Amino acid sequence: MRTPLLSGCLPARLLVAALLLSASTPGLAGWFGKTPVPQWGLDAAKHPTPDYAKDAAAIVLFDEYLETVDAQGRAVEREREAIRILKPQGRHNTCEVSYDVDEKINYFRVWTLAEDEKQYQAQDTDFTEQGDTGVPIMLSTRKARIAHPPAVDVGATVICESEELLQPYLPEKVWQFQSGIPVLFQALEIDLPAGRAHTQAWHNFQPVQPVEVAPNSWRWELKDMPALILRDIPSPPEWGAIAARMSVQWGDAAVEGKDNQWRAIGQWVTALEANRPDPSPEITAEVRALIAGAPDFYTKLSRIADSIQKNIRYFVVMRGIGGLQANRAADIFRNRYGDCKDKTTLLISMLQVAGIHAFYVPVDDRRGIVDPDDPSLVGDHMITAIEIPPDVQDPRLMAIVKAKDGKRYLIFDPTNERTPIGNLPSYLQGSFGTLAAGPASQIIALPVLSPDANGTERKGTFALSIDGTLTGSVDTLHTGPEGADLRLLLKYSDEKERRDSLETAVAHDVPGVVLNSFQFVQPSALEKPIEIHYKLTAGQYAHQAGSLLLVRPRVVGSVALPFDDKPRTVPIDLSATGRWHDAYDITLPPGYVVDETPDPVDVDLGFASYHSSMTAKGNTLHYEREYVVRQVQIPADKAASFRKLESAILSDEKGTAILKKQ
Amino acid sequence: MRISVFMRNLLLPLVFAAPALLIAQFQDPTPEELKMTADPKAPGAAAVYLYYEETAESPAHTSSIYERIKVLAEKGKELATVSIPYEHGVDKVTDIEGRTIHADGTVVLLTAKPSDLMDVKTKGFQMNSVGFTLPDVEVGSILEFRVKLRRDEDWYFLPTWQIQRPYPVHEAHYSFRPSSLQKLMYSVHLGSNAKVVLGKKDAMTLDITDVPPEPDDDWMPPMNTLRWRVEFFSSRFATSEAFWDDARKYWATWIENFTDPTGPLKKAVAGIVAPSDTDEQKAAKLYIAVQKLDNTDFSRTKSKAERKKEGLKDIKKAEDVWKQQSGSADDIALLYASMARAAGLKVWPAYLVNRNRAMFDKTYLSDSQFDNDIVIVELDGKSLYLDPGQKMCPFGKLHWKHTLASGFRLTEKGAYFVTTPAAAFMDSTVQRVADLTINEAGNVRGSVRYVMTGPDALYWRQLALENDEEEVKKQFNESMRESLPEGVQADFDHFLGLDDYTVNLIGFVKVSGNIGTATGKHFFLPGLFFESRSKHPFVAEDKRTTPIDVHYSRMVEDDVTYRLPPGFTVESAPLTASTAWPEHALLKTNSKTSRDTVEVVRSLAYNFTLLDPKDYPNLHDFYQKVATADQQQLVLTRAPAAKGN
Repeated sequence: MRTPLLSGCLPARLLVAALLLSASTPGLAGWFGKTPVPQWGLDAAKHPTPDYAKDAAAIVLFDEYLETVDAQGRAVEREREAIRILKPQGRHNTCEVSYDVDEKINYFRVWTLAEDEKQYQAQDTDFTEQGDTGVPIMLSTRKARIAHPPAVDVGATVICESEELLQPYLPEKVWQFQSGIPVLFQALEIDLPAGRAHTQAWHNFQPVQPVEVAPNSWRWELKDMPALILRDIPSPPEWGAIAARMSVQWGDAAVEGKDNQWRAIGQWVTALEANRPDPSPEITAEVRALIAGAPDFYTKLSRIADSIQKNIRYFVVMRGIGGLQANRAADIFRNRYGDCKDKTTLLISMLQVAGIHAFYVPVDDRRGIVDPDDPSLVGDHMITAIEIPPDVQDPRLMAIVKAKDGKRYLIFDPTNERTPIGNLPSYLQGSFGTLAAGPASQIIALPVLSPDANGTERKGTFALSIDGTLTGSVDTLHTGPEGADLRLLLKYSDEKERRDSLETAVAHDVPGVVLNSFQFVQPSALEKPIEIHYKLTAGQYAHQAGSLLLVRPRVVGSVALPFDDKPRTVPIDLSATGRWHDAYDITLPPGYVVDETPDPVDVDLGFASYHSSMTAKGNTLHYEREYVVRQVQIPADKAASFRKLESAILSDEKGTAILKKQ
Repeated sequence: MRISVFMRNLLLPLVFAAPALLIAQFQDPTPEELKMTADPKAPGAAAVYLYYEETAESPAHTSSIYERIKVLAEKGKELATVSIPYEHGVDKVTDIEGRTIHADGTVVLLTAKPSDLMDVKTKGFQMNSVGFTLPDVEVGSILEFRVKLRRDEDWYFLPTWQIQRPYPVHEAHYSFRPSSLQKLMYSVHLGSNAKVVLGKKDAMTLDITDVPPEPDDDWMPPMNTLRWRVEFFSSRFATSEAFWDDARKYWATWIENFTDPTGPLKKAVAGIVAPSDTDEQKAAKLYIAVQKLDNTDFSRTKSKAERKKEGLKDIKKAEDVWKQQSGSADDIALLYASMARAAGLKVWPAYLVNRNRAMFDKTYLSDSQFDNDIVIVELDGKSLYLDPGQKMCPFGKLHWKHTLASGFRLTEKGAYFVTTPAAAFMDSTVQRVADLTINEAGNVRGSVRYVMTGPDALYWRQLALENDEEEVKKQFNESMRESLPEGVQADFDHFLGLDDYTVNLIGFVKVSGNIGTATGKHFFLPGLFFESRSKHPFVAEDKRTTPIDVHYSRMVEDDVTYRLPPGFTVESAPLTASTAWPEHALLKTNSKTSRDTVEVVRSLAYNFTLLDPKDYPNLHDFYQKVATADQQQLVLTRAPAAKGN
């Protein structure tokens, strides 16, 4: 009942958020009355606070899930939890229950055991219910019942018990046993009908074997789980990718072997979405018109993908299983809106008309959440795998994976309205997804693209006057996912917001800058780079220092990432592969020459490289640099290399050239 | 815990700004509307409202909205999604119709069933939203929909017309027909000559054209000073003067009664102040006493059941607060007033609109706009404004949200309007004193001392009431990052005076990292250590049409001593300079060089809080100069080696 794994889901990532919410929370209740604090709660509250929790805002003393599964595979979940408040800011650690239209809360009771052992029970006025209506582009039926128990002071223990009949269609439990506060004791018990199999899988944790506490009733227990806090860690990985969890399957995926489990999960998705992509006559007509005269496979793909990216508005309607199952392609096409699984459905449908096979790929758009060692439906997004015919060899199709049967698939995210087909958004690179291809279903590693698939080419020409004023122009080309991000920014902003955004970005490097003009050039073909051109004036950009004039040749743009010198235990996320190149020419004021420049920088650490140089030619100071990132994430033991790289970049970005009078 | 004196006004029929009765039919688009690709009156706008209509009919208990929107850019598509909030059990949203009209005239009807979703539910109250999204929307489309709302027979409408919307409005029509049982008044905030008129069947109507979008800038005053709107009130009074006269009298009576010093309070006061104390000493001693109480605005409000269990009665008089040694911020402020009265002081409570939320609006005939109580004490013929309800606020000071704030104050002759004074910039100071040692590689190590008074100190002290000191340290550390040069890490060490509001708050920080860059002969350090990132406001935008609100005036003084690596001498240091915006703001920089140290001193003070847009060019010019001045560097050279024999 604490922070669910995917509590930070964005609208575009809603696919299986519902799964985890339901998996990690019991249910709603309006059953109050006076019930004494249960004995398990009193026992839990007797535990002294362990030393390791002295810095924590709160500690979970006891957290136990009991999943009672019926013959049809549907579970009733009971959760018992006791949380001790250790600091004032820990008071928000309360209990809540999430539920949807096809779930039912049997009861939800909350008590507080004060430090002085006085007992309080939350009354009906101490609960609120909140709908999932905070996101403007989503209509969701999910709700949460939240307890605001009385007497929640430092030293008090909040005791919660709830029972919820869960949705009937998800035969798995995701146990998120690591959170932002430590847990003294926790347990998961799965009570299965006789003869029903189960499997378990662990993420980022040494597996623990269960005890069979009753016939086909399995219990896992864990003690002293530390909190996972990534606050203040620069370039952190996704929290959910690091946090320990386990999953238990009791449906078709409860089979031996990870490959078989992933296959079963993929088959479940395949069955769930079966016939959803069936093309309507309107879709068929549209596709035929689109691909008429297309000279090659790529062009067909491009035209179809482009039409979805441009014409299908992102909008989510989630009602129960609708959080997992797509709408029908005909409806999506008619309404011209849908969420990620809808867009994938329409893409599969349209490709089907064009004679191209494509498949659903459930993923998570946060790197590292989906774990090949932990087969489950955990994820928040749906993308598409497009089968590439054996005879097609096209360098524009970069995001290719090879399945176990040798087939090649192009991975594509139709929800990302601005990344061209063939490329892949950076947030998906290096992740895993489930290829839902019926019996051929499997877990697949999403590709990490070459640096050439992403980046920025920036050129600047400036003139410096004797009073230090810099005037000039900057021209940039942004390709791949970086260009896509910019296109998205342009899509969702008006003229004023664009100007503000650009001004703020330039002013970060050049305080006091005035933008004389700016222009965004956005070719309709997504594979073409987006261009930004602007002219600027910056008074006192160069500073007089005695007889010298000091100027920073790296005028605009920063690629430096934050870093520190603290010991590192978690991977370093570099966000994206790519190539960023800057070249600036500064014409010197009459009578001035370059006296000194910083040394060139040459750093190549494998995962990334950085080269820069400053040269003087006649009355021009030329600065040039290239930053290349080849990996999206590096292990913690590369922290020293990361520091070396970032330190070199930062120093170079601040580098000053000295001009003197001839 | 005390019940607001103004609850009586909330007992009037529920005010609910809701959509209105549907009477309009869908309108055929004109060829010009279909062809439109931009709005010449609003260049760059992503959408425009071609027409907006909102009507309410209290006698029929129905209301409606009708909108026609032209989508001009991708961002404007967001208007295709509509959410109609309503109170469950009171209202019903019905008769939703919508359509999308493409630029070629093709019409696509809304066929998907709208969703009725719960927003929030507590015991006895539930807000829902009916939501839908229009189909097949593209740039160039006209979005058109209408919605009807039916209200329970027991409730009337009392709308607020929010005239400005996120996008420009070409034409709008508003209409409200009150019930014959409703006595109406209204306030008008419009930036145009449009007028509310009495139309047919006693309906109040407003027709307006060319409404600009609602303002959206950084550092704006509260929105209620800017937003165009018409607010209706049920009032038994004929004029606004009569309303406020009555409200002041009612409040004065209530406040006199609440703060009447009873026997137990007089006894408590006698134990706190001595007869020989001066009035100021009495005022200060009582202030200390009430500051020590449990202020539930900063701790936790006990639930009804909890209070019952602990035998705590509802607070009806100041004496109850003292008895319970606990109360809300307002309870404690009024307790202070009561105790000060008991001590024989001339003391006057005031009831203000908090400036961090809104500004007092005399045309808005509702006393529900007031937020907090403060206290005014007369000492030696001078008014001293006190904020006893703000825990950790020093004696004689106000929280910034209570400065330049208006409302009621009590006097010997009854209650009158009051506006509190602004705080002087000398009352809001931050000193940053750094002692930094630099080595030959450009690494820096040293300490920084932050000395804070006024709002900065109060912010951290109040944060510490709701968080432990470790958390406050972490947040302080995070807040410092913006002001330290890139490559420098801060490690907060400790606070002095975090729990003592009578002294300056001091924070000690250790810093380390790399800040130096070098060429062959020269070595560079940021001249203004705390401002090298220079994220000043008002620099990027050269024009502004909305007023400016910086919350409070302030002074920041920096004193940074660089201890230079051996063998280095100073070639150039930040210039001694002064940049002024007369009577408003001043920047001064100065540097002193000795054999192996450089001391750079910077002082930035601004002595204004609210500014008119016409002042923006001066403000912009001043901050541009500040931004460039803060980029100066400290240039060192390696001293030539001493010549040998």
